[in-house]
Amino acid sequence: MKIYTSIFFTFFVLSSTLILRSKTAISSNDLLGVAPQDEKYYKGLWSSGAIKCKDGSKLFTKLQLNDDFCDCLDGTDEPGTSACPTGKFYCKNAGHSPLTIFSSRINDGICDCCDGSDEYGGKTRCNNTCWEAGKVARDKLMEKIALFQEGVTIRKQEIEQAKISAAKDEAELSKLKIEEKILRGIVQQLKEHKEQIEKAVEKERIQKEKEEKQNKEAEQSELKEHEGQEKIDVEEQVPVKNNDDRAAILDTNPSGKEDPVERAVDVVHTAHAPLDNGEKHDPKDEEVSEFVHGSEPNNGLGNKVEDATKGIDSLSREDLGREIGSRWTGKKTDQQNYDVDDAKKDYETSVDVHDEENNGYDTETDEDHHLYDDNCKVDDVEDENNDVSSSSYNYDPDDDDMNILDMETESSPSWFERVQRTVRNVLQTVNPFQTPVNISEAENVQKEYNEASMKLSKLKSRISRLTKKLENDFGPEKEFYSLYGQCFESKQNKYVYKVCPFKQATQEEGYSTTRLGKWEKFEESYNVMLFSNGDNCWNGPDRSIKVRLRCGLKLEVADVDEPSRCEYAATLTTPALCLEGKIKELEDELEILYKQPQFHDEL
Amino acid sequence: MKLKLKLKLIVVLLFSISHLISVSSWKKEEFRSCNETPFCKRARSRTPHHSNLIASDVTIRDGDLTAKLITPTPIDGNHNSSSNSSSDSSSPPLILSLSVYQGGILRMKIDEDPSHNPPKKRFQVPDVILPDFEISKKIWLQRYSTDAGSGSSSFVVYLSDGYEAVVSNDPFEVFVRERGGGGRRVLSFNSHGLFDFEKLRKKEEGEEWEERFRSHTDSRPFGPQSISFDVSFHGADFVYGIPEHATSLALKPTKGPGIESEPYRLFNLDVFEYLAESPFGLYGSIPFMLSHGSAHGTSGFFWLNAAEMQIDVLGSGWDDAGEDANQEKRKRIDTVWMSEAGIVDAFFFIGPEPKDVVKQYASVTGTSAMPQLFATGYHQCRWNYRDEEDVKNVDAKFDQHDIPYDVLWLDIEHTDGKRYFTWDRALFPNPEEMQKDLASRGRRMVTIVDPHIKRDDKYHIHKEASENGYYVKDASGDKDYDGWCWPGSSSYIDMVNPEIRSWWADKFAYTEYVGSTPSLYIWNDMNEPSVFNGPEVTMPRDAIHYGNIEHRELHNAYGYYFHMATSEGLLKREGGKDRPFVLSRAIFPGTQRYGTVWTGDNTAEWEQLRVSVPMILTLGITGITFSGADVGGFFGNPDTELLVRWYQVAAYLPFFRGHAHHDTKRREPWLFGEHNTELMRDAIRVRYTFLPYFYTLFREANVTGVPVARPLWMEFPHDEATFNNDEAFMVGNGLLVQGVYTQHAKEVTVCLPRDHTWYDLKTGTAYKGGRAQKMEVTDADIPVFQRSGTIIPRKDRFRRSTVQMENDPYTLVIAVDSSGGAEGEVYIDDGKSYEFQKGGYIHRRFIFSDGKLISVNLNVASSSSSSQGTSFYSDCTIERIILLGYSSSSKPPKSARIEPTNRVADIELGPLQIRSGVRSAVLTIRKPNVRVSDDWTIKLL
Repeated sequence: MKIYTSIFFTFFVLSSTLILRSKTAISSNDLLGVAPQDEKYYKGLWSSGAIKCKDGSKLFTKLQLNDDFCDCLDGTDEPGTSACPTGKFYCKNAGHSPLTIFSSRINDGICDCCDGSDEYGGKTRCNNTCWEAGKVARDKLMEKIALFQEGVTIRKQEIEQAKISAAKDEAELSKLKIEEKILRGIVQQLKEHKEQIEKAVEKERIQKEKEEKQNKEAEQSELKEHEGQEKIDVEEQVPVKNNDDRAAILDTNPSGKEDPVERAVDVVHTAHAPLDNGEKHDPKDEEVSEFVHGSEPNNGLGNKVEDATKGIDSLSREDLGREIGSRWTGKKTDQQNYDVDDAKKDYETSVDVHDEENNGYDTETDEDHHLYDDNCKVDDVEDENNDVSSSSYNYDPDDDDMNILDMETESSPSWFERVQRTVRNVLQTVNPFQTPVNISEAENVQKEYNEASMKLSKLKSRISRLTKKLENDFGPEKEFYSLYGQCFESKQNKYVYKVCPFKQATQEEGYSTTRLGKWEKFEESYNVMLFSNGDNCWNGPDRSIKVRLRCGLKLEVADVDEPSRCEYAATLTTPALCLEGKIKELEDELEILYKQPQFHDEL
Repeated sequence: MKLKLKLKLIVVLLFSISHLISVSSWKKEEFRSCNETPFCKRARSRTPHHSNLIASDVTIRDGDLTAKLITPTPIDGNHNSSSNSSSDSSSPPLILSLSVYQGGILRMKIDEDPSHNPPKKRFQVPDVILPDFEISKKIWLQRYSTDAGSGSSSFVVYLSDGYEAVVSNDPFEVFVRERGGGGRRVLSFNSHGLFDFEKLRKKEEGEEWEERFRSHTDSRPFGPQSISFDVSFHGADFVYGIPEHATSLALKPTKGPGIESEPYRLFNLDVFEYLAESPFGLYGSIPFMLSHGSAHGTSGFFWLNAAEMQIDVLGSGWDDAGEDANQEKRKRIDTVWMSEAGIVDAFFFIGPEPKDVVKQYASVTGTSAMPQLFATGYHQCRWNYRDEEDVKNVDAKFDQHDIPYDVLWLDIEHTDGKRYFTWDRALFPNPEEMQKDLASRGRRMVTIVDPHIKRDDKYHIHKEASENGYYVKDASGDKDYDGWCWPGSSSYIDMVNPEIRSWWADKFAYTEYVGSTPSLYIWNDMNEPSVFNGPEVTMPRDAIHYGNIEHRELHNAYGYYFHMATSEGLLKREGGKDRPFVLSRAIFPGTQRYGTVWTGDNTAEWEQLRVSVPMILTLGITGITFSGADVGGFFGNPDTELLVRWYQVAAYLPFFRGHAHHDTKRREPWLFGEHNTELMRDAIRVRYTFLPYFYTLFREANVTGVPVARPLWMEFPHDEATFNNDEAFMVGNGLLVQGVYTQHAKEVTVCLPRDHTWYDLKTGTAYKGGRAQKMEVTDADIPVFQRSGTIIPRKDRFRRSTVQMENDPYTLVIAVDSSGGAEGEVYIDDGKSYEFQKGGYIHRRFIFSDGKLISVNLNVASSSSSSQGTSFYSDCTIERIILLGYSSSSKPPKSARIEPTNRVADIELGPLQIRSGVRSAVLTIRKPNVRVSDDWTIKLL
């Protein structure tokens, strides 16, 4: 207490007039830097002479308030000076919105508050820019409110639409499931029927053989022997053909996957094979040979596996430079070449990159991808839209599939009935227990069986796609439903970034595609879309991208960035983020801005 | 199917290769071992008494003692040492000269006799020794005295009041000893007869001079020309110095009974992922070794030579000789020095105090340049801050988190295709605006400029350099050497030529370096030089420099010249008014005059944090005080704890920069959660509070050569417990910093030097020195102590950068010793110009004794109002004076009287550090508010 009284005394002598005045009324100078909601706290200084620091550590007096000496470690006693490191300074910013700044900004020669109140030391003059800045801020806010208002309407419509679409998809799914059940029954029936026929045929054949043997023994006639031989040939035709087909299926599906989609594709592939074979193989061969060729500069690398020491010595001077340099850059030497000589973009390199980037895909099914994968479809579209800086389109994998499979969509459901009918007819007409077997009818059963099981596969594939789609989290109100099957592009410098919600995100440069991530989930309460487990980064993590969603009327990808190596970020504007509740918030914010006195010249 | 399989195999193969590359680190086999280096192998295999030289014709000439070193004619006329061509009896003599310089420095030169017309003049490194040293520090020897020993005579010359230099003629030996009394030896040369000097000669019939290493061939047109010799440090417990190696402060023996090691190599190399414990040569070379021991104190030996050098520290018993047993019982450390080329130009420093030796070395090669104040703050770097928006964001985040920093750095990707002095305009369309924006908040920018120049005819630098013949030539001598570096095919500016340096310096003019502004400074990387496709990732030794100098002769100085030229460029662009800031990776004696260095591409591992301390301390005692290691480790991702610890240690080291490889995750201080942000902010802020102290120490280094960060033994040369300690270090003479180098550390042991009291800087608790002190540690900070008897100036306010701190008041922390006294200094100037050289600075000494603190002016220029001097004035006051160790007196003072104003200031209990969460209560003089530039006295009442 002694200390305090002596301070008081000294101060009194030095500036008694000031004290006298402040005793009578609290001027705003006394509460420099204090936020309005805190003024009450400080009033205690005038009523009781001393109050506690907010952290309760000690008491301080009115004289210690803003005396440019830090008494409270939490900065309570110095709201208006830079004396305490953790202090906060409140600027009113009349005409704009108030601001709380770090005490480190006070009298530091930089105008942080638009009203200039942080630079009262006299060394720096700050113009009051609050009105202009405030106007800009208000205008921006108003635009934002307008945007949200419009966005909210679109959002509502989209939610309605999403509900309808979802219901439709669900209805279709359940319908397909029923059909699948029936079709499976039919296929089973056909299968049994077919097997019975086969058995019958076999029985007949054995019977015949027996008979022939008996005949042979009995007659020993050359003519008859010849005749019998002929018959066997004809009879053997059926099982042989059957074997052929099975072999084909096995051949195209060597991994023996049970995935119905895969199966469907395989079967279809077999069906089309004679037509496409020639075309398909050429580019494939070319690609392989290019790949091998493209990796030739890596010969040194190849040696490295055996002997790292000798490896680099066998390189040419230029390749040696590249190879050593690549240790720091973490790039493959070919890519280094690419990077180093930006004018020279040789095809070889890009092909190599492409292949390397794609090595995550199953090479075995590459051909199928080329023909049927939506990936391929998307690529074509993308090529046409290359110059557009931001664009979007649908890829709807389901429709594609259906078209390719030459299967009528649900809009003409008669195909199913037709199948049922045909099969019924076949089953009725063909009697496996009847001998001798009617060859043409047996073939008919075989054909129907093949067709039906193919259709079953297609159906299964369709069901699995729909199920997969519906398993997705489309948001609490299904507001992201329409994003399914869409892709959005943004062109930045030499790259085209493509975001396909619920699927994947890629970065494309010329012919090479790098997968930035596969769809994982929403994050931060549906404010961020996360795509992870993209292509591996050399010496780094698997690529991933976070797409931040923002309210906007159009769906557009922008601001693609790579804040950390191989961790990408982008924004996607969508009406889905135009939340009604936010409008109120923004309006309140605007109201506060308008409430500010327009001119406030106290200092 | 087969094709597919093959394809798959290749993919797998490629993947495994990339994996192989990513996990492998230092490629030992790509660098030459001593055994693969013929001169080193030859020298290392020699045995004691190899040398049979005798000194003849000893005389005094031009103030030097000179002699001829000759091989005596064999008695029987047979060449008994035909294996050694240099000691052929018909070979011409060597010329020895000894010079003496003020302050206890002996210089010894040995070169070939020019009157015998050797095939080529051997290279002597110019531009390293201060002209002032050679001109005005030399003591002209007038006479020698002789000591006649048994069979040999010794020629003795004056060295200093306490020491003399001796040349024994047969066998030839040079040593320094104490005068009078026992005449104890301090340093000796060729005492073991390992001196060998391969004289230049004609190639003999059938002789092979070429050397091959891996796929490279060195034509070696001048044949063998190496030099090696032994140097003994008497009375030494340990030897230190000879950076740059990632190794302990006290140098471990490399040869001797039971020791298998490569010698310490000095050959500037760009080493990918260097190891934390290895005698392998890194980016810089300073052939300067110090010894310290309780018997003699400190001495030093410096060999000015820029060729590849290898140095063995010999373990005791290496020569299993009992010859010294009767001579001296004292400890001695023998070393062997081997160099591929050049001459002997060696300096003996007698000490005897540690600071004497560094001062003696600094008087030869110069003290460190006075840095700008901003450069002593925190630097934020990354390979790469991608574009202007990235720069803007990073800058804004520092402010958003209230973390101070001074400089933002741009690595190679900012350029247009690695063409230095250009910008990738897609990423940096408005570099001037970007720099101006940073500058508006007091911040600087640094861009990288490397010595490899892209061979592109459209690139103006290449065009001018190739047209003017400014490149280093290949072995043919007339074709530009064409190597490979970041830009691909590149050539290297030949900076040895002063004309070329001047041309290079002009490139930094604002009109030449388009997009540069006065707030832009420079970073020289890859200047060893790094050549990706060269032998050992550098330039071939037979490349030819200006003046027909072979690259082998000056390799270690190449980066030094490049650094010098760049520094001159920054000086030129502001008409000599702005202190340059240039960071260099390559290092050579004298580098300290041109800028800052860092320890290169380290790795985010605990042991690399650990080794960064001895590496920086070693650089400090060998002249280069302004050095640091990349905070967090360049390669790899540090875990959060390591990163925080790294900030906490590095905050007390001279150069403080965070940097990271482009493959690493971002690691700016705010990316690890609020708690860790706070820890890193605290570490950086602590650095900023101590900046007045650091700046004062930088000035001390600038004047005397004594480093900012010091090994403990430099401050406590008589406390043997400190000699081998490189986990703790001193900042100046006042702060002891103990790093934490292990994960999940709960406590650390600190060896506080004896005879002092140490005040924990967090709590103010006093600890007696002289024993191992176990300290509990939390993640909040590392143990730091203030030594009793010191006064440390601080600025306890936080700002965005050093610029905004200019007018902030000071805090003085007084830690009294047992007699109640303490002393300290503060140095202040404008932080950027050279006005301080004309007296434009404030330098005060604070002396506390008998309860009275006085401020004494140390600026002689300003006190003697001479007309030519400029003056510097500061409005800054002292807002707080903290008294440590005073509370022990029975009656603590209640107030203090300030003279001459006769005011009274209160004394109360206050915190030792203004940090929330840190509770301490120490005596604090509240608001004395005296000006830091004035004379005053404060008396405790």
